[in-house]
Amino acid sequence: MSIPMDFSQWVSDDGSHIHRRIFTDPALYELEKQHIFAKTWVYMGHESQIEKSGDFITSYIAETPVIVSRAGDQSIHVSINSCSHRGVPVCRADQGNTRRFVCPYHNWTFNNKGDLVSIPQERKVCNKPDKSQLGLKKVPRVESYKGLIFACMDEQVESLTDYLGDMTWYLDCLFDRFEGGVEILGSPHKWLINCNWKLPVENHLGDVGHGPYLHGSLLQGTPAVTELEQFGHNVVPKPGHGLSVRLMPDGTPAEQCMLGMDGLAGMDPEVNAYLQESHKKVSARLGEVRSRLKPLCYSVYPNLSFLWPNMTLRTSHPRGPGQTEFWSWFVIEKDAPAHIKEKLRMNYTMMFGPGGLLEGEDSEAWSEQYKGSNIDFTDDRTFYYGLGQGEAGPHPEMPGSVGSCFDEHYAREFYLQWRQRLEQGVNHHA
Amino acid sequence: MPEINLELISRVEQFYFREARILDNRQFNQWLTLLTEDIRYTIPSRHVPQPDLQKKETEAFLSVEQELSQGLETPYRDEDFLILSIRAMRAFKSNSWTDSPPARTRRFVSNIEVLASEQPGCFEVFSNLMVSYSRHQQDNFFYTAQRKDLIKPEEESFKIAKREVILDWNVITAPSLSIFF
Ligand code: FES
Ligand SMILES: [Fe+2]
Repeated sequence: MSIPMDFSQWVSDDGSHIHRRIFTDPALYELEKQHIFAKTWVYMGHESQIEKSGDFITSYIAETPVIVSRAGDQSIHVSINSCSHRGVPVCRADQGNTRRFVCPYHNWTFNNKGDLVSIPQERKVCNKPDKSQLGLKKVPRVESYKGLIFACMDEQVESLTDYLGDMTWYLDCLFDRFEGGVEILGSPHKWLINCNWKLPVENHLGDVGHGPYLHGSLLQGTPAVTELEQFGHNVVPKPGHGLSVRLMPDGTPAEQCMLGMDGLAGMDPEVNAYLQESHKKVSARLGEVRSRLKPLCYSVYPNLSFLWPNMTLRTSHPRGPGQTEFWSWFVIEKDAPAHIKEKLRMNYTMMFGPGGLLEGEDSEAWSEQYKGSNIDFTDDRTFYYGLGQGEAGPHPEMPGSVGSCFDEHYAREFYLQWRQRLEQGVNHHA
Repeated sequence: MPEINLELISRVEQFYFREARILDNRQFNQWLTLLTEDIRYTIPSRHVPQPDLQKKETEAFLSVEQELSQGLETPYRDEDFLILSIRAMRAFKSNSWTDSPPARTRRFVSNIEVLASEQPGCFEVFSNLMVSYSRHQQDNFFYTAQRKDLIKPEEESFKIAKREVILDWNVITAPSLSIFF
């Protein structure tokens, strides 16, 4: 399909109508990689995963594999995992600790800054290749926000904090909640979903409207649903990013404002005591308003998401228009006692991750959405994204544009950002 | 210590075949009766670690254990009887969208190995499992796994007191690990 310059047919000017093909078209998918993933900050991992020098994890920028490593001087480097000689991946592990990445093919060897340190064949040839020009391709910008490491292929990109904007106020609710910070325990859970990468992101941006229905067998009639309808808001802190929160009214008892309280784990007396104790310190660190704030879900443009009740970070790595490699991690207060870490993770493993009950239902809906989008004779039937159009506005206590809990403005803004990035990219190159 | 003889092995095998049939027939409530109430059901997560050069030239260099989540590292699943019951009961609800319409599953259990256990009267059983999982029109997947169980003799049969499922993927190429392995 040829791509017309008029992007309003993909996303209408007010964001309320979205063309089905934006989820399925291979040409649009190529543009996404070029003009979104190569231009924006993309989440790489958490600093707790690479604490010691020599530690590394692997990740992706869209479909491009990268190594995220901590060098001897503690600096963090992101390099494309492809040997400068013939392209073979030089790192074959998901995580570990090493001073050298040795390419299996001819043993060219790179250090954990991505620099080429040796070419074994060099001693038998006359020319001396300039090793300083033959390192792994580096991702030029790497910055962290409260432990969250991001990288960007575009050297000119704005700073990470500017990019996040008011999203930081909401991210701090978890990532600055505890004096000792949070940590990720273990390697990511990774699985393939036959869906477009944008659907999981859209879902976590604030699609709480599906909760009582798609997840009806588990959530219907629970207090979590009533609470959502009473106190829930969808927030766009900056167009592209989005989240859903419950802002509990002044005077709400602490037990109803605690972290990770929508799951079975909180019923355990020890876990409950820990959560109560840790909640006491929240207003001193984050202020009174955020001590009443119970986030549900977040997405940071383009593909990082977070779920508060289940304490899970996730990324949606595209694998073509119709496939996503979804990665997910459990996040916990670093200084929490070991038995609390072990008990609280039940809120994650039972509901989310590849074995999670809610996750299974979400994955199902996302892959069914792809099936329903990838059909013929429906190009005149755009998807309706207009719920709550025009309602959102400023809020006295929270930054960003705030709407009701079923207001789809988070998605309208996300797809308008998507359109703007592609439009600018295509016209700039034309 | 009870003797592990052919008769016992054959009874254990029959127990596993019956369990597989019950699960394939979606009789999840009946399946729950095959578990002890203090069951621990776990699926460790699996990854590719950086090879540990200290261990090279030994079997430990290739040990499966180092690929599995340990201790506080997050497993795929870690469940007790309550969570397994919630999973089982949920499947029968009309709005349980991942089970309605249900998957067509077929379990193949093999390589059953019965060993004595440190727990008095119990047995450790290794088995291999292959599950064919088919949903909707043509969403077809295969799971393979090793199971390490602790089973307890009970009346004429056994109950499962512990099950650890070792899956054989890095990136999981099936939509969900929510089924009973
Ligand atoms: S391809 Fe890496 S050394 Fe030749
Ligand atoms: Fe969901």
